[in-house]
Amino acid sequence: MDVGTRFLILSLEGESYAVPITRLLEITVPRGIQRDAKLTEVFEGKIEFRGKWIPVVNVKKIFKLGGKPGAALLVIKGAKGLLGLLVDAVTEIIDTEQKPVPLPKGVMNPTLNYYAGILRHKEGLILLLNEDGLLP
Amino acid sequence: MRNSYLLFLLSDRIFGVRLVGAIEILPWRASRRVPLAYSYVEGLLDYRGIVYPVYNLLQRLNLGRPGPIGFTAEQQSPARTGQSIILLEENKMPFGIVVDSVVKMTSLEDPVSAPGKVRGIDPKFVKGFSYEEDQEIMVLDFERLLHAG
Repeated sequence: MDVGTRFLILSLEGESYAVPITRLLEITVPRGIQRDAKLTEVFEGKIEFRGKWIPVVNVKKIFKLGGKPGAALLVIKGAKGLLGLLVDAVTEIIDTEQKPVPLPKGVMNPTLNYYAGILRHKEGLILLLNEDGLLP
Repeated sequence: MRNSYLLFLLSDRIFGVRLVGAIEILPWRASRRVPLAYSYVEGLLDYRGIVYPVYNLLQRLNLGRPGPIGFTAEQQSPARTGQSIILLEENKMPFGIVVDSVVKMTSLEDPVSAPGKVRGIDPKFVKGFSYEEDQEIMVLDFERLLHAG
Protein backbone atom coordinates (compact mmCIF):
# COMPACT_ATOMS: atom_id res chain seq x y z
CA MET A 1 0.00 0.00 0.00
CA ASP A 2 1.21 3.46 -0.81
CA VAL A 3 2.27 5.61 2.08
CA GLY A 4 -0.04 8.52 2.74
CA THR A 5 -3.19 6.90 1.45
CA ARG A 6 -4.54 6.16 4.91
CA PHE A 7 -6.09 8.85 6.98
CA LEU A 8 -7.45 9.08 10.47
CA ILE A 9 -10.84 10.80 10.50
CA LEU A 10 -11.62 12.89 13.54
CA SER A 11 -14.46 15.17 14.44
CA LEU A 12 -14.62 18.71 15.75
CA GLU A 13 -18.02 20.12 16.62
CA GLY A 14 -19.73 17.55 14.45
CA GLU A 15 -17.61 18.02 11.32
CA SER A 16 -14.94 15.72 9.96
CA TYR A 17 -11.26 16.40 9.54
CA ALA A 18 -8.39 14.10 8.71
CA VAL A 19 -4.72 13.60 9.51
CA PRO A 20 -2.39 11.28 7.61
CA ILE A 21 -1.92 8.10 9.55
CA THR A 22 1.83 8.21 8.90
CA ARG A 23 2.04 11.12 11.35
CA LEU A 24 0.05 9.43 14.09
CA LEU A 25 1.80 7.85 17.06
CA GLU A 26 -1.05 7.26 19.45
CA ILE A 27 -4.71 7.84 20.16
CA THR A 28 -5.44 8.18 23.84
CA VAL A 29 -7.56 9.98 26.40
CA PRO A 30 -6.46 13.37 27.63
CA ARG A 31 -5.44 12.50 31.15
CA GLY A 32 -2.80 14.22 33.24
CA ILE A 33 -2.57 17.41 31.17
CA GLN A 34 -0.60 19.98 33.12
CA ARG A 35 -1.08 23.66 32.69
CA ASP A 36 1.99 25.52 31.59
CA ALA A 37 1.95 29.29 31.88
CA LYS A 38 4.66 29.59 29.25
CA LEU A 39 2.43 28.16 26.55
CA THR A 40 0.00 30.33 24.60
CA GLU A 41 -3.76 30.23 24.78
CA VAL A 42 -4.31 27.57 22.12
CA PHE A 43 -2.44 25.06 24.27
CA GLU A 44 -4.30 23.12 26.90
CA GLY A 45 -0.99 22.38 28.56
CA LYS A 46 1.56 19.63 28.35
CA ILE A 47 1.43 15.91 28.85
CA GLU A 48 3.99 13.25 29.56
CA PHE A 49 4.34 10.88 26.65
CA ARG A 50 6.90 8.08 26.68
CA GLY A 51 8.97 9.90 29.25
CA LYS A 52 8.91 13.27 27.47
CA TRP A 53 6.78 16.36 27.95
CA ILE A 54 4.94 17.34 24.83
CA PRO A 55 2.67 20.34 24.24
CA VAL A 56 -1.05 19.71 23.76
CA VAL A 57 -3.14 22.00 21.58
CA ASN A 58 -6.88 22.33 21.60
CA VAL A 59 -7.62 22.25 17.88
CA LYS A 60 -11.07 23.75 18.44
CA LYS A 61 -9.46 26.78 20.02
CA ILE A 62 -7.17 27.24 17.04
CA PHE A 63 -10.22 27.09 14.77
CA LYS A 64 -12.30 29.32 17.05
CA LEU A 65 -15.01 26.68 17.17
CA GLY A 66 -15.96 27.00 20.81
CA GLY A 67 -17.36 24.12 22.81
CA LYS A 68 -15.63 21.96 25.37
CA PRO A 69 -12.01 20.84 24.89
CA GLY A 70 -11.99 17.54 23.05
CA ALA A 71 -12.23 14.14 24.69
CA ALA A 72 -9.63 12.39 22.53
CA LEU A 73 -5.93 13.06 22.36
CA LEU A 74 -3.88 12.33 19.27
CA VAL A 75 -0.14 12.29 19.54
CA ILE A 76 1.39 13.20 16.21
CA LYS A 77 4.84 13.59 14.83
CA GLY A 78 5.16 17.11 13.51
CA ALA A 79 8.05 18.79 11.75
CA LYS A 80 8.89 20.60 14.99
CA GLY A 81 8.56 17.54 17.22
CA LEU A 82 5.81 15.64 18.93
CA LEU A 83 2.52 17.36 19.46
CA GLY A 84 -0.71 16.45 21.20
CA LEU A 85 -3.96 17.37 19.48
CA LEU A 86 -7.18 17.52 21.46
CA VAL A 87 -10.16 16.63 19.28
CA ASP A 88 -13.76 15.65 20.02
CA ALA A 89 -13.58 12.09 18.77
CA VAL A 90 -11.84 9.77 16.41
CA THR A 91 -14.31 8.21 14.03
CA GLU A 92 -12.50 5.94 11.62
CA ILE A 93 -9.48 5.17 9.53
CA ILE A 94 -9.96 5.32 5.80
CA ASP A 95 -7.95 3.89 2.97
CA THR A 96 -8.19 5.94 -0.14
CA GLU A 97 -6.68 6.29 -3.56
CA GLN A 98 -7.75 9.94 -3.68
CA LYS A 99 -5.27 12.70 -3.99
CA PRO A 100 -6.42 15.48 -1.69
CA VAL A 101 -7.98 18.34 -3.66
CA PRO A 102 -6.22 21.61 -2.87
CA LEU A 103 -8.30 24.21 -1.06
CA PRO A 104 -9.69 26.60 -3.69
CA LYS A 105 -8.10 30.03 -3.89
CA GLY A 106 -9.98 32.87 -2.30
CA VAL A 107 -11.21 30.91 0.68
CA MET A 108 -8.70 32.01 3.25
CA ASN A 109 -5.60 34.07 3.69
CA PRO A 110 -2.94 32.27 1.62
CA THR A 111 -0.36 32.69 4.36
CA LEU A 112 -2.37 30.38 6.62
CA ASN A 113 -1.52 26.72 6.21
CA TYR A 114 -4.04 24.96 8.40
CA TYR A 115 -5.24 22.61 5.68
CA ALA A 116 -3.38 20.28 3.38
CA GLY A 117 -6.41 19.72 1.16
CA ILE A 118 -9.86 18.25 0.90
CA LEU A 119 -10.96 14.62 0.79
CA ARG A 120 -14.31 13.22 -0.26
CA HIS A 121 -15.87 10.66 2.00
CA LYS A 122 -19.42 9.37 2.39
CA GLU A 123 -21.15 12.16 0.48
CA GLY A 124 -19.25 14.79 2.38
CA LEU A 125 -16.05 16.79 2.34
CA ILE A 126 -13.32 16.28 4.89
CA LEU A 127 -10.70 18.90 5.58
CA LEU A 128 -7.24 17.41 5.74
CA LEU A 129 -5.27 19.10 8.48
CA ASN A 130 -1.74 20.21 7.89
CA GLU A 131 -0.27 19.21 11.22
CA ASP A 132 2.77 21.40 10.64
CA GLY A 133 0.71 24.48 9.86
CA LEU A 134 -1.55 24.44 12.90
CA LEU A 135 0.84 26.40 15.06
CA PRO A 136 2.36 29.73 14.12
CA MET B 1 -21.43 44.48 -27.19
CA ARG B 2 -24.36 42.31 -26.21
CA ASN B 3 -23.75 39.30 -24.06
CA SER B 4 -25.68 36.85 -21.95
CA TYR B 5 -26.24 37.80 -18.36
CA LEU B 6 -27.86 36.14 -15.43
CA LEU B 7 -29.91 38.53 -13.32
CA PHE B 8 -30.47 37.92 -9.65
CA LEU B 9 -31.89 39.65 -6.62
CA LEU B 10 -29.98 40.31 -3.47
CA SER B 11 -31.20 42.53 -0.68
CA ASP B 12 -33.90 43.99 -2.98
CA ARG B 13 -31.42 45.04 -5.65
CA ILE B 14 -31.00 43.56 -9.06
CA PHE B 15 -27.55 42.40 -10.06
CA GLY B 16 -26.14 40.90 -13.19
CA VAL B 17 -23.31 38.53 -13.89
CA ARG B 18 -22.00 37.83 -17.35
CA LEU B 19 -22.33 34.22 -18.31
CA VAL B 20 -19.07 32.62 -19.28
CA GLY B 21 -19.07 28.85 -19.51
CA ALA B 22 -21.55 26.65 -17.76
CA ILE B 23 -23.58 27.68 -14.78
CA GLU B 24 -25.71 25.79 -12.33
CA ILE B 25 -28.45 27.10 -10.10
CA LEU B 26 -29.20 25.13 -6.97
CA PRO B 27 -31.57 25.64 -4.08
CA TRP B 28 -29.61 26.92 -1.09
CA ARG B 29 -27.92 24.17 0.89
CA ALA B 30 -25.40 24.14 3.68
CA SER B 31 -21.79 24.15 2.57
CA ARG B 32 -18.93 22.45 4.32
CA ARG B 33 -17.71 25.03 6.80
CA VAL B 34 -14.01 25.95 6.74
CA PRO B 35 -12.78 27.30 10.06
CA LEU B 36 -10.71 30.49 9.76
CA ALA B 37 -11.83 31.15 6.21
CA TYR B 38 -12.73 34.71 5.20
CA SER B 39 -15.91 35.82 6.92
CA TYR B 40 -17.83 35.96 3.63
CA VAL B 41 -17.04 32.34 2.74
CA GLU B 42 -19.98 30.08 3.63
CA GLY B 43 -17.94 27.01 2.92
CA LEU B 44 -17.21 24.42 0.27
CA LEU B 45 -19.67 22.62 -1.92
CA ASP B 46 -18.91 19.43 -3.81
CA TYR B 47 -20.98 19.37 -6.96
CA ARG B 48 -20.43 17.00 -9.86
CA GLY B 49 -16.82 16.41 -9.01
CA ILE B 50 -15.83 20.03 -8.46
CA VAL B 51 -15.24 21.65 -5.09
CA TYR B 52 -16.73 25.15 -5.18
CA PRO B 53 -16.05 27.82 -2.60
CA VAL B 54 -19.41 29.39 -1.79
CA TYR B 55 -19.45 33.10 -1.11
CA ASN B 56 -22.02 34.94 0.88
CA LEU B 57 -22.37 37.85 -1.51
CA LEU B 58 -24.42 39.87 0.94
CA GLN B 59 -21.55 39.87 3.36
CA ARG B 60 -18.91 40.39 0.70
CA LEU B 61 -20.71 43.46 -0.57
CA ASN B 62 -21.41 44.66 2.95
CA LEU B 63 -25.11 44.64 2.24
CA GLY B 64 -26.01 43.03 5.56
CA ARG B 65 -29.68 43.08 6.32
CA PRO B 66 -30.59 45.27 9.24
CA GLY B 67 -31.22 43.18 12.32
CA PRO B 68 -33.50 43.99 15.23
CA ILE B 69 -32.40 47.12 17.06
CA GLY B 70 -29.57 46.34 19.40
CA PHE B 71 -28.57 43.16 17.59
CA THR B 72 -26.13 42.45 14.86
CA ALA B 73 -27.81 40.67 12.01
CA GLU B 74 -27.04 36.98 12.12
CA GLN B 75 -26.13 35.78 8.64
CA GLN B 76 -26.93 32.12 8.95
CA SER B 77 -30.41 32.04 10.36
CA PRO B 78 -32.93 34.25 8.59
CA ALA B 79 -34.83 33.20 5.53
CA ARG B 80 -32.49 30.78 3.85
CA THR B 81 -35.48 29.10 2.26
CA GLY B 82 -35.96 30.42 -1.22
CA GLN B 83 -32.36 31.47 -1.58
CA SER B 84 -30.28 29.99 -4.33
CA ILE B 85 -26.67 29.18 -4.94
CA ILE B 86 -25.37 30.06 -8.39
CA LEU B 87 -22.30 28.12 -9.47
CA LEU B 88 -20.16 30.04 -11.94
CA GLU B 89 -16.62 30.46 -13.04
CA GLU B 90 -14.35 33.41 -13.49
CA ASN B 91 -10.96 32.99 -15.16
CA LYS B 92 -11.52 29.23 -14.99
CA MET B 93 -11.97 29.43 -11.23
CA PRO B 94 -15.22 27.79 -10.18
CA PHE B 95 -17.14 29.40 -7.34
CA GLY B 96 -20.63 29.76 -5.96
CA ILE B 97 -22.59 32.75 -4.73
CA VAL B 98 -25.62 32.88 -2.49
CA VAL B 99 -28.42 35.06 -3.84
CA ASP B 100 -31.99 35.77 -2.75
CA SER B 101 -33.46 34.64 -6.03
CA VAL B 102 -32.59 34.19 -9.65
CA VAL B 103 -34.56 36.49 -11.95
CA LYS B 104 -33.70 35.35 -15.46
CA MET B 105 -31.12 34.98 -18.15
CA THR B 106 -31.11 37.73 -20.69
CA SER B 107 -29.01 39.44 -23.28
CA LEU B 108 -27.70 42.86 -22.28
CA GLU B 109 -25.37 45.52 -23.58
CA ASP B 110 -22.12 45.24 -21.61
CA PRO B 111 -21.69 48.02 -19.07
CA VAL B 112 -19.47 50.69 -20.60
CA SER B 113 -17.69 52.30 -17.73
CA ALA B 114 -16.96 51.77 -14.11
CA PRO B 115 -19.17 54.00 -12.04
CA GLY B 116 -17.66 56.61 -9.77
CA LYS B 117 -20.15 56.15 -7.00
CA VAL B 118 -22.52 53.38 -6.12
CA ARG B 119 -25.00 53.71 -3.32
CA GLY B 120 -24.05 51.43 -0.46
CA ILE B 121 -21.53 49.28 -2.35
CA ASP B 122 -17.81 49.63 -2.76
CA PRO B 123 -17.49 50.80 -6.41
CA LYS B 124 -14.43 48.65 -6.98
CA PHE B 125 -16.73 45.62 -6.98
CA VAL B 126 -18.96 47.09 -9.69
CA LYS B 127 -18.12 46.87 -13.38
CA GLY B 128 -20.88 49.24 -14.30
CA PHE B 129 -24.57 49.43 -15.07
CA SER B 130 -26.56 47.87 -17.83
CA TYR B 131 -30.17 48.62 -18.57
CA GLU B 132 -33.12 46.55 -19.53
CA GLU B 133 -36.45 48.30 -20.02
CA ASP B 134 -35.33 51.15 -17.79
CA GLN B 135 -34.35 48.71 -15.10
CA GLU B 136 -30.89 49.48 -13.83
CA ILE B 137 -28.79 46.35 -13.41
CA MET B 138 -25.59 46.45 -11.44
CA VAL B 139 -22.97 44.26 -13.07
CA LEU B 140 -20.50 42.93 -10.56
CA ASP B 141 -16.80 42.48 -11.05
CA PHE B 142 -16.23 39.00 -9.72
CA GLU B 143 -12.54 39.03 -10.36
CA ARG B 144 -12.25 41.80 -7.78
CA LEU B 145 -14.86 40.34 -5.51
CA LEU B 146 -13.03 37.07 -5.20
CA HIS B 147 -9.75 38.69 -4.35
CA ALA B 148 -9.52 39.32 -0.67
CA GLY B 149 -8.79 42.80 0.51
